[in-house]
Amino acid sequence: MADKFDRGTALSIFKSDRLEDIMALLVSLVIVGIVLAMVPVK
Amino acid sequence: MVYTKKTPWVLIIGIIMAAYAWLVASGTLAGTLEFLHTKGKVGEMVTMGYIFGGIGIVVGLWQLFITPKQGHIDYYLSTIGGALLILLCVFLVKYGAEPLMKQWGAASHKAIGWNWAKTLGVNYILLGIIVGMVVVNVLKVPDWAENGVRLSRLGLKTGVVLLGGLYSAAELAEYSQWSIGLIFFFVLGSVGMTLWLGRLKKIPNSMGGVLSAGLGVCGVSAAVAAAPVVNAKSSEIAYTIGTILVWGVLMMFIFPPVGRALGLSYEQFGAWAGTGILNSAQVAAAALIYQPDGIETLKVAEIFNITRILVLPIIVMWLAVWYVEREQTGTKVNVMQVIIGKFPLFVLGFIVVFLLSTTGVFAPADHYKGKYFVGEKGKALDDKAIDALKGIDVKSIERDDQKAALARLIETKKNSTKADDVLIRGLEKQKGMSKEAKKALGAAHKHAWKTAPRITWFRSLIVWFFAFGLTGLGMQITFRSLAQAGGQPLVIGTIVGTVKAVGALIAVLMLKNLIG
Repeated sequence: MADKFDRGTALSIFKSDRLEDIMALLVSLVIVGIVLAMVPVK
Repeated sequence: MVYTKKTPWVLIIGIIMAAYAWLVASGTLAGTLEFLHTKGKVGEMVTMGYIFGGIGIVVGLWQLFITPKQGHIDYYLSTIGGALLILLCVFLVKYGAEPLMKQWGAASHKAIGWNWAKTLGVNYILLGIIVGMVVVNVLKVPDWAENGVRLSRLGLKTGVVLLGGLYSAAELAEYSQWSIGLIFFFVLGSVGMTLWLGRLKKIPNSMGGVLSAGLGVCGVSAAVAAAPVVNAKSSEIAYTIGTILVWGVLMMFIFPPVGRALGLSYEQFGAWAGTGILNSAQVAAAALIYQPDGIETLKVAEIFNITRILVLPIIVMWLAVWYVEREQTGTKVNVMQVIIGKFPLFVLGFIVVFLLSTTGVFAPADHYKGKYFVGEKGKALDDKAIDALKGIDVKSIERDDQKAALARLIETKKNSTKADDVLIRGLEKQKGMSKEAKKALGAAHKHAWKTAPRITWFRSLIVWFFAFGLTGLGMQITFRSLAQAGGQPLVIGTIVGTVKAVGALIAVLMLKNLIG
């Protein structure tokens, strides 16, 4: 297993849950930004 | 180490998805879509097909013709193949298998009087998880897709963060008043019960501590967070994760049919799943299996789930004190450091997105009030729908407030207030209701709410993130990981899991008149 995933873990590509959380926040931020920029409010 | 595998499959999946989008957009598949009743999803099929197909074609060509070098670009681009494999599975079940099975179910209803697809609650979330489990356990996830499958948790976490944008302050306040009481009772109760059973069964304190966090709070993450304060060994964490997975997977399949049999409203089922199911991912799965074509259940379930995640620091502190009292030789651990280091940050993201939504950037200020509740504007129900509502056997409705709301709806031909709308939504799940009456009740809700465009986008994206995450999660549920469970932890998990699920159901049934 260690050779197979020498980066991240068997459950995640990120080396820690904290990093995965931060990536989820970043992805969400990008999506919120895209929706705000491209979709009208009404 | 170079992670990217040279394979034509990423390119092939990209071409399949883009070609499908083109065939749908050009009208070539119009007959098929008509047969499957999926014409309403054409826009989504085309947009998603072109986006995912385009990514697959570009990355597939890159992987075929360029020799990747070790580094970040290779590592992160190697995840695209697996992500596309998951998305292809979602495409197949959402636009193919689910509508087809619904057709077969309807046909069997005509032939043998039993709609098996409806009774079993067959939908794309359930099918996606099953397909994922079959892929990993029977067919094996291909090498080129392994990295991408490990993105599924990221998808689930992103879905939860974005979900924050769909609550109104009033909704959150309404759900929180129930979630805080129920969650405190059930989390503290199940942690206490696990520790007591652990002492009774004479398992090590470290095992009891980590198991109690997993069974009490939010599953795997809580077990991992509690592990350092009770000095848990890797094998004990593995036992706990195995026990939680066995119970989570079982409950994910059992909760929805039980909820349907009991005629629970979306809100009631969400409260039950968010309280009674051990692991966060399976809470989302059960909620979406219960209501795949909307997110009311998911919203309530996640409020309960997030409330219990917020209880995590209290549990970690409790376990730290509990463990030190029993194990004098234990290594000293900085509890605050553990709490700060292990607390799931994405929950804070959910709160930030919710706060952002209260400023009105996603929807006009009057959106959450329902556009057509007051005044003469908006569509009223037609005479056929009103006749169907008049045909409802009022005596079969237990709640007086629901009877009154139905009477008002028949009189005014539309839902006049948000409270009435919630009551009428609850009636839709009532047993013995005719198809026409259910349709009329659903129409009354739709007529009252005109969803803001940004909210529509968020809903659609959130469902995709959850569908992606849950299908990928299915690809991570291996029989080997389930087999990690065993011995006394499994016995304790079975007792606590059953008590929690049944107890939460009783609590929700007792509060039936108040929740939803």
